[in-house]
Amino acid sequence: MNDDRFDVIGRVTRRQDGHAMVTGRQLYSSDISLPNMLQARVLRSPYPHARIAAIDTSEAERLGAVCITPEDVPRVKYNERQVSVPAKTYRDRTVLPDKVRHVGQGVVAVAARTEALADRALDALDVEFESLPAVFDPHEAMRDGAPQLHDAVLLGETVLPIERNIACYREAVEGDVARGLEEADLVVENEFTTGRAYHGQLESKAVVCRPEADGGITVWATAQSIHNTRQLLGSLFDIPLSKINVQRVPIGGSFGSSIQMNSSVAVCVALALKAQKSVKLVLTREEDMYDHCKYPSNIHLTYGVKRDGTLTAGYLKTVVDIGGHNIQAYPLLGCMAGWFVSLYRLPHLKFEGTAVYTNKAPACAMQGYGNPQVTFAVESMMDTIAEELDIDPIDVRLKNYVGLGETFWGQGPTVRSVIRSCGVEEMLLKGKAMVGWEGRGSSTSKTGRFRRGIGVGRGFHTSGTGAPTPGEVIDYSTAMVKINEDGSVDCLTALMCHGGGTLDAGAKMVAEELGVPLDRVGISPSNTRSTGYDVCTHATRGVYCGGASLLRAAQDVKKILFDFASRIIDVNPDALKVRPDTSRGQGVVCLPGAPAKRITVAEVAKTAQIKGWGSIIAVVSHRQVNCPPCFVVNFVEVEVDTATGQIRPMRAVAAVDAGTVINPDLAAGQLEGGLCRGIGLALLEDTTYKPDTGELTCGGYLTDYKVYTAQDMPSLEDLSTFFADTYEPSGPFGAKGVGEAANNATAGAVANAIYNAVGIRLTEAPITPERVLSALTRDAEQLQQGR
Amino acid sequence: MTTYPIDIKVNGEWKRAEVTARETLLDALRNRLRAFEVKDGCSQGDCGACTVILAGRAVNACLTLAVQANGKEITTLKGVGTSENPDPLQKSFVEHGAIQCGFCTPGVVVSAKALLEANPNPNREEIREGISGNLCRCTGYTQIVEAIEDAAAHGRRGVGEREDA
Repeated sequence: MNDDRFDVIGRVTRRQDGHAMVTGRQLYSSDISLPNMLQARVLRSPYPHARIAAIDTSEAERLGAVCITPEDVPRVKYNERQVSVPAKTYRDRTVLPDKVRHVGQGVVAVAARTEALADRALDALDVEFESLPAVFDPHEAMRDGAPQLHDAVLLGETVLPIERNIACYREAVEGDVARGLEEADLVVENEFTTGRAYHGQLESKAVVCRPEADGGITVWATAQSIHNTRQLLGSLFDIPLSKINVQRVPIGGSFGSSIQMNSSVAVCVALALKAQKSVKLVLTREEDMYDHCKYPSNIHLTYGVKRDGTLTAGYLKTVVDIGGHNIQAYPLLGCMAGWFVSLYRLPHLKFEGTAVYTNKAPACAMQGYGNPQVTFAVESMMDTIAEELDIDPIDVRLKNYVGLGETFWGQGPTVRSVIRSCGVEEMLLKGKAMVGWEGRGSSTSKTGRFRRGIGVGRGFHTSGTGAPTPGEVIDYSTAMVKINEDGSVDCLTALMCHGGGTLDAGAKMVAEELGVPLDRVGISPSNTRSTGYDVCTHATRGVYCGGASLLRAAQDVKKILFDFASRIIDVNPDALKVRPDTSRGQGVVCLPGAPAKRITVAEVAKTAQIKGWGSIIAVVSHRQVNCPPCFVVNFVEVEVDTATGQIRPMRAVAAVDAGTVINPDLAAGQLEGGLCRGIGLALLEDTTYKPDTGELTCGGYLTDYKVYTAQDMPSLEDLSTFFADTYEPSGPFGAKGVGEAANNATAGAVANAIYNAVGIRLTEAPITPERVLSALTRDAEQLQQGR
Repeated sequence: MTTYPIDIKVNGEWKRAEVTARETLLDALRNRLRAFEVKDGCSQGDCGACTVILAGRAVNACLTLAVQANGKEITTLKGVGTSENPDPLQKSFVEHGAIQCGFCTPGVVVSAKALLEANPNPNREEIREGISGNLCRCTGYTQIVEAIEDAAAHGRRGVGEREDA
């Protein structure tokens, strides 16, 4: 897909870090190795809920290990996640706890010269736990007399007592739902659940900390925000930020798993400060699995609808099992309200969300942040409505979707803006033709052991969290662009790339704006000391927000470039243009129509240096005031084995409306990867717990926590992707995001495909063979009784 | 702890390491020989990030004892090709966008290399089987399979080695 408006935007280009990755030169946090570095290990709780009665580290210390206990670390209560404004941030944890709230929670940490020595020291620790009654079900946790995880937490600086384990509650109401349901010709109601999927990023979290001679620290950590990591470490350990340098390190997959400063980071820093030596802490896969997971959902959803398919009201009630600590449940509930309200027009609406503590691993953001959960329920219901009213499911969606010119809530009730680009109709209609929708037939026409069905799912994600006025969520990026004395360009930002090509997209925007060949635009290494604040690479904001900050810095740099060029070639700077001259490998500043008035970017920069005019450099902090929806449509075909309950994805069409697509091949890769994880959420993935011990039933092993391999995915010829042809006026070069949108609609599409195959509505994800079989059996029994 | 000397030929160069009896090849490669291109994703033989070619076969280095490799030849990602002289597979992975976060890439490329050496002309099903021991959480595998297919076609044409990277 080449766009004639642009030189590099929208063209397939090779990612800058690609060669390092394929030749083994890309190093991640776990690959950092410093001289005289100690290796750390953490003693973790075998109990889901326990007081720590006694700790004896003497034997471990005798072996030469440095040890830290809850006594040795700051008592500051904090939240790992620093995105909400302080007044809306719930704080309920310390670096090491006085009471453990889930199996796998770290209690004591040791550091020693080698991993083997650290392991021996770990074995030599003596910790006495006083086991407490535990609770694993959020509904049980809200009952009177249930074990209490937290007596009180901090909300901002205010002490907030916790009752019935309710971490927070959020409600949104518009109109009058009761009235809306009365006005309806049909009321549909159902309950949906999704699992506590594990991120499964290939790199288990790692961190290295080096204490510096000035009392400061340098940190290499698996992190999505180096600045939030720095700020948290500063407040926890009382070190001036000027002495804390957090390095940007490539991340081995994210999906939200390091959206917060992971608990191991503070532990490693505490060890390094005590040892006054560099310390490395790499989580095992088992530890990683006990560290975080996706927010599960339990959703009760009611819609009122007119006979012609027009929605009159919607009411979504959810209980979210957040595990032992509240990382970001309050903004999560706001977003879940936003996802619900922004999918389909609701004249009357109500949302109620309750986040509940349980003795499980803390849940955090994972691709979609509540969106795949809500969209699974909503998209399942759209098909139910279509079935009940005998309307094509695609028509129900076209009738009700929130689109161009309408207000959407994006990231919750306080983040409202108007949609200015929308490819929903285009994607639904094109996808419908591609997948052969008309020939899918109804479930009643399908017989035999293996039955196929096609389903549709629609969804969106926001591009960032920007609102017209800054609200409870912080969202801005800072970028520096500099033209070097040979005409090449440096781009410096704290933005991360999680693999989707975010930084490459930024470089392409800078190349496009400055008219410099892309191979002359470099992405600089980055750390907190040399960059301005960037909130976090999350919320599908990398290209739309981070890219926009780079573009604005490039625009400022261009003004300086033209000012300097005008002095040399003696023309009005306002009349100048800059274009890439690929034969010279240079950008060329020129006056259109005047062939003599040309000068290369390199000549301008070198002249400016020699004459002492200064560097061609600009730094910009930029806040987007929208978070436009990147819409997504998935069509999925599945085959249900009615004898075993096994479901195989056979075919899929995935489309995204990302505005102008910056990196087409990488964006297609995002769609394919998102689809894969979305199918995983629908059919496969959940972390379940043993009710007697509070341990993961998979034991922390990937052997028993299945994710899809290459053999499980639909094969190439059966998987198509495409992009809607739209342009987002508020986006850099018309771009929106892709990231999270890619998996938001998938689970709904899969459930609808299963319904189309066997005529049974499955509402509990993952839709495992056991669940399918028991639903098939139930259905057969009901059929028999009916006769 | 008692250690034993082993000699292994890593990417064409003989190296000696002192290892313990229980040490995995993965730990020996990373901790003793600083072969950080071999990634540690799970240490349990589930993810394939640590795949190396040992005596002609792709193995999980985390499930192989270091002493088992004594006297044998090992190819890691760095042995498949270099920036200056990349293997068609490596070029193909970059060109097809078959890499996202890159953490699984060292294992996937090595598995693909072993596959193409055993079977220069694999069909899609064979490619998918050949990399089924490697988990990739980012890509959904589509572009990886395309990249391997393209590299295989390249190999059959017998060109590409000297093209610009």
